[in-house]
Amino acid sequence: MTPRLPESPTQRISRENELLFFYRGKPFKGLEGDTIATALYSNGVRIFSRSMKYHRPRGLYNLDGYSSHCLVTVDGEPNVRGCATPLRQGMWVTPQNVLGSPRWDLMGLMQFFSFAMPVGFYYKAFHKPSWVWPFAQAVIRRAAGLGRIDPEMPEGVYQNRYYNCEVCIIGGGLAGMEAALAAAEGGVRVILLERRDHLGGDLAYRVTRSNEGIPPYRRAAMLAEAVSACENVTVLLCTSATAIYQSNHVTAVKRGGAGDPYRETYLEVRARSVVVATGAIERPLLFSNNDLPGIMQGSCAHRLARVYGIKPGNRMVVSGCHDGMLEMAADLAELGIEIVAVADGRSSGFDTELISNLHRKGIPFLPGTMARKAIGFKRLKGVQLAPTFGNGRKRWYSCDVLAASAGEAPLSQLLQVAGAKMAYDSAAGQFLPGEFPPGIHAAGKVTAARGEETIAAQGKLAGLMALQDLGLGRTSHIRQVREILDVIEKRPAGRHWTAPPVGSRKCFLCFDEDVTTDQVRDAIDQGFDQSELVKRYTAVGTGPSQSYLSGTNLPLLLADQRGLEPGAVLPTTVRPPVFPTSLAALGGRRYTSSKRTPLHEKQAQLGACFRLTGVWERAGSFADAGLSQEVENVRKNVGFIDVSTLGKFRLFGRDAVKLLNRVYAGNMETVTEGRLKYAAMCNEQGVIIDDGVVTRMGESDYFFTTSSLRAGNTLEWLAFHSKEEDWEAHLVNLTDAMAAVNLAGPRSREVLARLVDADCSNEVFPYMAVRRMKLCGEVDALVMRVGFVGELSFEIHVPASYGAALQDALLDAGKPYCIRPFGLDAQSVLRLEKGHVIIGTDTDNHSTLHDIGLSWAWDRKKAGNQTVGAPALRFTETQKHRQKLVGFTMNEAFRTPSDGSIVVADGTVKGRVTSSRFSPTLGRSIGLALVDPDLAVMGGTLEFYTDGRLNRKGLPEIKTFRGTIVPVPFYDPEGKRLRG
Amino acid sequence: MSFLLTCPNCGPRNIYEFRFGGEVKTRPDENTVSAEDWADYVYLSKNVCGVQKEWWYHAKGCGTWFAVERDTRDNLPVVKEENEG
Ligand SMILES: [Zn+2]
Repeated sequence: MTPRLPESPTQRISRENELLFFYRGKPFKGLEGDTIATALYSNGVRIFSRSMKYHRPRGLYNLDGYSSHCLVTVDGEPNVRGCATPLRQGMWVTPQNVLGSPRWDLMGLMQFFSFAMPVGFYYKAFHKPSWVWPFAQAVIRRAAGLGRIDPEMPEGVYQNRYYNCEVCIIGGGLAGMEAALAAAEGGVRVILLERRDHLGGDLAYRVTRSNEGIPPYRRAAMLAEAVSACENVTVLLCTSATAIYQSNHVTAVKRGGAGDPYRETYLEVRARSVVVATGAIERPLLFSNNDLPGIMQGSCAHRLARVYGIKPGNRMVVSGCHDGMLEMAADLAELGIEIVAVADGRSSGFDTELISNLHRKGIPFLPGTMARKAIGFKRLKGVQLAPTFGNGRKRWYSCDVLAASAGEAPLSQLLQVAGAKMAYDSAAGQFLPGEFPPGIHAAGKVTAARGEETIAAQGKLAGLMALQDLGLGRTSHIRQVREILDVIEKRPAGRHWTAPPVGSRKCFLCFDEDVTTDQVRDAIDQGFDQSELVKRYTAVGTGPSQSYLSGTNLPLLLADQRGLEPGAVLPTTVRPPVFPTSLAALGGRRYTSSKRTPLHEKQAQLGACFRLTGVWERAGSFADAGLSQEVENVRKNVGFIDVSTLGKFRLFGRDAVKLLNRVYAGNMETVTEGRLKYAAMCNEQGVIIDDGVVTRMGESDYFFTTSSLRAGNTLEWLAFHSKEEDWEAHLVNLTDAMAAVNLAGPRSREVLARLVDADCSNEVFPYMAVRRMKLCGEVDALVMRVGFVGELSFEIHVPASYGAALQDALLDAGKPYCIRPFGLDAQSVLRLEKGHVIIGTDTDNHSTLHDIGLSWAWDRKKAGNQTVGAPALRFTETQKHRQKLVGFTMNEAFRTPSDGSIVVADGTVKGRVTSSRFSPTLGRSIGLALVDPDLAVMGGTLEFYTDGRLNRKGLPEIKTFRGTIVPVPFYDPEGKRLRG
Repeated sequence: MSFLLTCPNCGPRNIYEFRFGGEVKTRPDENTVSAEDWADYVYLSKNVCGVQKEWWYHAKGCGTWFAVERDTRDNLPVVKEENEG
């Protein structure tokens, strides 16, 4: 680590806290406050990467993540922007797109063949004969890659955040902070997004005072303090806005740093008014070899010195087109860096104070001059300066750093995605955004404003305008600021656009894609004369820096080459996100939230193995018993299962029965108190979407259940149909308020009888009856005698708080009858043995009631209102081509096709297995399948193709099983057991 | 794509909280409707470029269904003229 410059108040490094990191496997030291790029620079690293196509060496160019030069791989994550990523202890940094080291890249020879590699070279050269391409592609991918993904990369933590506010300000520079303060005065919620890790913008590192004012960095600090002191202003640092969408919806990404547990946060800010104060960026100067390591933006050199205390070099030449370069040159001279010469492409429009500063320091100032050529092999050795226009004297200067820029360009990308139109402003020499959508304002350098006072007043005005959007504006204040703006002297900016010198070679318009001005000329010759066309032909502006660096130069260059006025060709369209967002950040945090039933703890005590089904954690099986034991115990003795997950609803109100009739296929007028009715729900296509039982609790008062996974949808479905007709029907979701247990098996009546003092005999409490009972003399329960698993069974509903007690009571009462719990796995087998259909498993988006043998659940003659599925049920009733659900037993008793196995006949797919299990009760495998109608013949043979063991290639071997179609239910077809 | 929708209960809320319920249509008579007309009703939407009346459900909010007019071009709230009542 080379020694840093003496301390200065603008520095943001902590000299006491050294950080150890690794670059190309070797240990290096940086300081807290460094970015990866500045730490490398301070260690003498000058070549950061190799360019994508020609493998030209590239060094530090920009410090805000807008160039691809400093992309590195960090701890396995590729394409990390080294210049915008804070250095952390122990980072493992590797360069990209390099064979060997960036300094001795073996592919570096590519650049000497660049004359033979025009645009589209790879595609044009290797696409014929076609067999060459797969091989060529593999080599090109290696040569032209952008990092590699490390599959071993540890997973980071990412999140999504959503904010609401009245005013969102993007950019925390002078204009943004003034806007925030003005808006905060209105007492509204303000959110300020700043892409750097501190407020202040370019003021934060500038020391040269203008007009006897306070130094810019002091002003920035005071403003930042004032902003932080505002309780209604939320400042989000390290946050780059990525887009502005409809209704002032701002999206952004926040890079995690120290103290932020998230690697990246994707955030959305919903504001009523937005102020864009994103500032400007220096656009590259076009000259031969303008990409050599050592050539950087003026602000990059300035910040290296002022923020990080690093000397950009020893001998520096400056070639600029805006006042910032003049100020930087004088300031760096102050810090002991030898400024060899300062060229300015303009001939007028300078800030004369800055020029006298240069003169006082004895720095040669050359107006109307700019860099035309750079020399050097792996590092900059010298620069040729020549007049901007005409053939004046050319002079060579030896140097190791060249700060070069063709002037500033507004960072208007966000305004463009918001809908602003770009137009060339010849006074500013820039494309400027205009015609903003309502509620969007701009302030500062993004509008080409110059001078601290103008920018400050503009910021204040934007803040006041934002308040005006909210109806809080005070016109007198706005008028005052406007007057200030009018008074400020407006200096002409001077002529800005500078075309590449005639005969220049290796003059890069786009560094990312290695597109030179020569290639753009070729593109024009081939008829690609508009920005969008050239972009697609040459890939200019499609790399990591997008249009940030080449966006202004491309249309200006096109106009120049075609002999048109600047502005005659417009820039390309900007599309969001305007700053890269990782997919992981968009994905956010992976939450696994689930619901637990009131019996959860109690079930766990019995050894339940839980699994997630829908939103619920449910007991799949119990540890101390096998699946067949659970099944057999239900068939022989008695078992119980937690069915609290069933959807449970009360529906009451004058039109309750109308609503039930609308959504259920059956006739709900026939539902009576004390009796249960099975009911199936269809959608408009006649497809079954839910089923359950319905009972009447009183006058226009009903209770019904839905399947476990449908509770939420049913709520929505009933609410819609009630609203559509404007019926008076109130739906109460009791799903979470009630616990439910199904007690099933031949001994279940005896168990229930021990808990209630009611008559549970078949005469008094028959199949499909429902009774209100008192459990253990005190708990109100609703007991339903349902079929469920095909045995005598009772579904007991109690208030959720009694769920745990219910299990204890059942275990106690059932002890003499060998009661044991059973889980979902056993339930599936038990229900399959009875041929019960699981909606969504044994049915799909095409299965109507007719297809699955439930036609009887539709009452076509019911009077009154309309039934959702009725027309479709009528139309599909006689359709011949529909798949049917059939039951089958396996010809080989112990073979079970996996669910979803295809049914094949005559070499074509004719259906699929929906469920198949080994039935301990029947001693053989059984299942249900949806098959084409010609196969749905009783006694017919079905052939299943199912995945077998993996073969040597790691692919599953296809196995063929056979089954025979049999009547359903498989078990107790007459239903004697459940009625007994 | 993101905009605000005004729930009659909760006021303007982020569109993510809502579920789209389709255009407001008139349910045909189930006893007389032809298969073609029913298919039109179920599957076809007008999808106008301009103002249309739609069903929305405040799924991640109060759970209310409501019919609302939306301008499909800009998703901004439809401002009714005074004399329309
Ligand atoms: Zn609501």
